[in-house]
Amino acid sequence: MLDGLASHIEHYMDLLSVRQKLVASNIANADTPGYKTRDIDFQQEFQSAIGNEPPAVIEAPGLKIKNDGNNVSMDRESRLLAENALRFQVATELMRSEIQTLRSAIQEGSGS
Amino acid sequence: MSLFDALSVSASGMSAQRTRAELLTENLANAETTRTPEGGPYRRKDAVFATDYGVSPFASVFEAQTGDGAGGGLAGVGVADITVDNREPERRYQPGHPDADAEGYVAFPRINPAEDMVDLMGAARGYEANVAAVAAVKDMIQHSIDLFH
Repeated sequence: MLDGLASHIEHYMDLLSVRQKLVASNIANADTPGYKTRDIDFQQEFQSAIGNEPPAVIEAPGLKIKNDGNNVSMDRESRLLAENALRFQVATELMRSEIQTLRSAIQEGSGS
Repeated sequence: MSLFDALSVSASGMSAQRTRAELLTENLANAETTRTPEGGPYRRKDAVFATDYGVSPFASVFEAQTGDGAGGGLAGVGVADITVDNREPERRYQPGHPDADAEGYVAFPRINPAEDMVDLMGAARGYEANVAAVAAVKDMIQHSIDLFH
């Protein structure tokens, strides 16, 4: 019933949660010597087959490494934190409207 | 693979930063302490952070059982070690002090309050960043729950 668009939204939300977890992990390790920022290639993961495989975690490229070998950029992480939360909100609203469509179909059927 | 794991990770960050803040305030409070149970003046302490993959034991067991281990383990943070500053104490000439040595010098802790205050600000900001992460993830979870209504 809920296929097509809904499964895409589900995949999108899954990827956003994985990314948000990595962001939380990066923020927690902002002061850990030698820790390298972890991320996923969002575009590529989303375009690759809407699949069951867990996304590949990569080291975020192009970040400046500090003296203690840590390269967590708090600006980057706070931007991603806010961005992921907002994207997730959009996805849940889309999913809600999908569910609403299905629900109204069910209710119209019972009315007659 | 649920967003709740991210809450455990942020909680580990908050706990680590809190430990660091506690040590830094201890340093500031003991900046003039000349007597300790170990003998000699107080020595500056600091926390060493290390990545910790076991912050959410429930999740790791659950994922091992269901084969749903996405993301290769989430990296939380933990206090790996508490280092003690072994620099020579600062010697100040105070002949009237009860802890003065034969030459009239007293060994005081080598603590620079500016250094500790700056680190303390760093710990407070780190704590805040983790709180912001908790708030963002909590909102995401709440929005997912709202889909049921």
